[in-house]
Amino acid sequence: MDFGSRERNEVEAGYVSRNDTIPRELKEPNPRLWLFIILIGIALYLIVEFPVKPIDGYIDPFYAPTVLVLPLVGLFRITCYAYRKDYHRHIFKHPLECSINNRHDSQKRGYTGETRLFRLENLHRYFLYGSILILPFFYLDIYKALAFNMAITLAAVILAVNTILVTLYLFSCHAFRHLTGGGTDCYSCKFAGRSRRSFFDVQSYLNSHHEQLAWASLLMFIFVDLYLRALSSGLNINFIILHL
Amino acid sequence: MSDLNSVSNRRITISIYRSESRSYVDYTVPLEDGMVVLDAVRYVQEFIDTTLAIRWNCKAARCGSCAAEINNMPKLMCKTRIDTLPDKIRVAPMGAFTNVSDLVTDVSENYMINRQIPEFKPDERAERPWRIAQIDVDRTKEFRKCIECFLCQDVCHVIREHKADYVGPRHVVKVASLDMHPLDTLDRSEFLNREGGLGFCNITKCCQEVCPEGIHITDNAIIQEKERAVDGDYDPLLWISRKIRHNR
Ligand code: SF4
Ligand code: SF4
Ligand code: FES
Repeated sequence: MDFGSRERNEVEAGYVSRNDTIPRELKEPNPRLWLFIILIGIALYLIVEFPVKPIDGYIDPFYAPTVLVLPLVGLFRITCYAYRKDYHRHIFKHPLECSINNRHDSQKRGYTGETRLFRLENLHRYFLYGSILILPFFYLDIYKALAFNMAITLAAVILAVNTILVTLYLFSCHAFRHLTGGGTDCYSCKFAGRSRRSFFDVQSYLNSHHEQLAWASLLMFIFVDLYLRALSSGLNINFIILHL
Repeated sequence: MSDLNSVSNRRITISIYRSESRSYVDYTVPLEDGMVVLDAVRYVQEFIDTTLAIRWNCKAARCGSCAAEINNMPKLMCKTRIDTLPDKIRVAPMGAFTNVSDLVTDVSENYMINRQIPEFKPDERAERPWRIAQIDVDRTKEFRKCIECFLCQDVCHVIREHKADYVGPRHVVKVASLDMHPLDTLDRSEFLNREGGLGFCNITKCCQEVCPEGIHITDNAIIQEKERAVDGDYDPLLWISRKIRHNR
């Protein structure tokens, strides 16, 4: 393709890292990236090294059904379009902001975008399928919490809110949107086209809140984890709302 | 009727980029109610310095000619009211394109890119006259609102900072409007991904932020085309299923 008058002279070789196996984004001295990696490392270490045992029938979502699914969930989030936007902006600063004076992006910095190694972000849909498969365990855990205590408790409600947020986050995914109508150009030519289209519209509404849902569900995950840790350390922060 | 004297007493200073001196020059213009940046710039051209080069046509946010950078954000001059801006107003030409003179830039690369997009190719067997259901055109209607102001191309860091071989958001919108047309038979996502540099877009959504027509460029056009490109280029299961069907 011919891109016309774009002047590339000074940056001819440097504008993209075509020959780099490791993207420039990862090689630049970038304290934000280092901090991010350290934080993730610490969090993983703590989650694996100090597991929360089920207490009173409540299961910590990081261990539902087992901590071994954590890589899958992690990969799902890291390839999610919402977080992709966030780390490309706030960690890699490509660009930090849209305004011309505060972008922190420049011709001199190499840029890979979602090419080369970052093409792996395109596998998002597979992590989605995997995550949908483990979603039922979250519902099972609500059931277990209710059945164990024979009561609706604060902890069960918190688990339920978490599960609802995860569900909304999962099904507002862009890959799910493509799968359930985004890839269809002619609804009226298809079986049950009108219902498909309505489903697509509802999903699109959810999808327009995907970024908020992504963060809400992540923060909720962390909150539930801390709450259950506090509970298992003996803190009296749970109470019965309704006996069943 | 408003009191004309009191109106003409209020003045604002506007700083405009001049290409000859390669610097910003301050101009003081009378402020009127409901005034937009284009009014102020035209006032300068008419009454203060007639050599100021500007481009505009409709003053109604329809033609897309008055695109500029107002206080560091790409915007239409005719759609930006002075009363939404702070006291200091700075108007620059779009920085991603070659400057012609003052606020005028050469956006012709966009017409060139546009010509290279595979055209609409209708299904030959479709019954004529074409009948299209409303639910099948709804999605592409959004993309047809584009006024080709190229503000999205200007703000896109892939083009502006990195000069990479990426067609740019406006052209992905164009491709999506063709791809999602119910009668069109082509899938342009592979073309977009392989030749159009779609992978360079890192979905940071600045284009969506500046679009004066409120088109959800990233969500509804770019990500959709990226997912279609995954079908064609990256999805191993679909790749295998295509191989099997092909071999039969
Ligand atoms: S979302 Fe993509 S096309 Fe839009 S400004 Fe960002 S990088 Fe450019
Ligand atoms: S998509 Fe929006 S910002 Fe881009 S050229 Fe069209 S109207 Fe302008
Ligand atoms: S003058 Fe036509 S869009 Fe501003």
